Amino acid sequence: MSGKVNKAFTKEEELLLQDFSRNVSTKSSALFYGNAFIVSAIPIWLFWRVHALEVSSSLAWFALVTTASTWFLALAYRNTKFHLKHRVAVRREDAVAREMARKLADDKKMSRKEKDERILWKKNEVADYEATTYSIFYNNALFLTIVILSSFYLLRTFTPTVNYIVSLTTASGLLALLSTGSK
Amino acid sequence: MVTKYLISILVISVSGSLAQSCQNPQVEAASFTSLDATIVTQIAYITEFSLKCDNPLPENYALYAEVDGKSLTAARVGDNKYQVSWTEEPSRARSGVHEIHILDEEGFASLRRARRSDPAATVSPLLAIQLQHPGSYSGPWVNSEVLATAISILVAYVALRNKSKILA
Repeated sequence: MSGKVNKAFTKEEELLLQDFSRNVSTKSSALFYGNAFIVSAIPIWLFWRVHALEVSSSLAWFALVTTASTWFLALAYRNTKFHLKHRVAVRREDAVAREMARKLADDKKMSRKEKDERILWKKNEVADYEATTYSIFYNNALFLTIVILSSFYLLRTFTPTVNYIVSLTTASGLLALLSTGSK
Repeated sequence: MVTKYLISILVISVSGSLAQSCQNPQVEAASFTSLDATIVTQIAYITEFSLKCDNPLPENYALYAEVDGKSLTAARVGDNKYQVSWTEEPSRARSGVHEIHILDEEGFASLRRARRSDPAATVSPLLAIQLQHPGSYSGPWVNSEVLATAISILVAYVALRNKSKILA
């Protein structure tokens, strides 16, 4: 760490940096981890009821694989959201600006700068929301497809325990890996 | 599942000169067929019938059956009670009515004689029982994992397409 810490950022600049960073808010993070946990835990039912995996002897594996898969999926959600957010912002820019301008048109007291800020804030909020929800949908859809394909077809000859471990870690790991790509 | 019902009876007039054969036969039959082919390797057909004749019948009155060209012996399971049963591969077991021709010893002998010269020959039976087989269940048309795979691939395709649309 260099000792030179630049403290000259204004509040607006910090806000702007936050908008463009990979870091997500606590609320968003909770949403990601909560969703990732649910989606990682769902296959337990599939392996328990359909693949006849013994539950009591596999509890440790369930905990381990679900934790790993939750972590991988949350990573994939975050990265996908980051890629999507800017594109969504560009696509929604005009519509949001128009709507906000109409809403704020009556308010004569508000300065032009504040209006622009509000538009920017709203644009960010819309893009953040859409990117978050789409990222969750996209990763869940791919995750469950990979789990189904690998558990029913690719690994059907293996024992249920191996099938469970490999299917879930492969699916979540692959999504995490793919999400780090730029496309 | 046992389906019990009265079966229409085809009574064939038998020549009166045969004192041993059944006069004016009346039959009451119940039948069973396997309906679930997922747990069995052969479809079973069983029909049980009681025979009533105007004239008294000898103790060991033997009956024979002929179904779809197959010759069978009717098992005597009680007083004037007989049972005819056979099995078939599930793929060959057709649904619908199976006609069972019941023959007495005379009829069976004449059928065999006739079959020697003409394999497709028939003789008029003593009586005929109709066995209804509604068809057996051999599993769903589409397996649930195939359906789940197809739906998940469709959803994943929509997700991928939309993502590339957003990023385009």
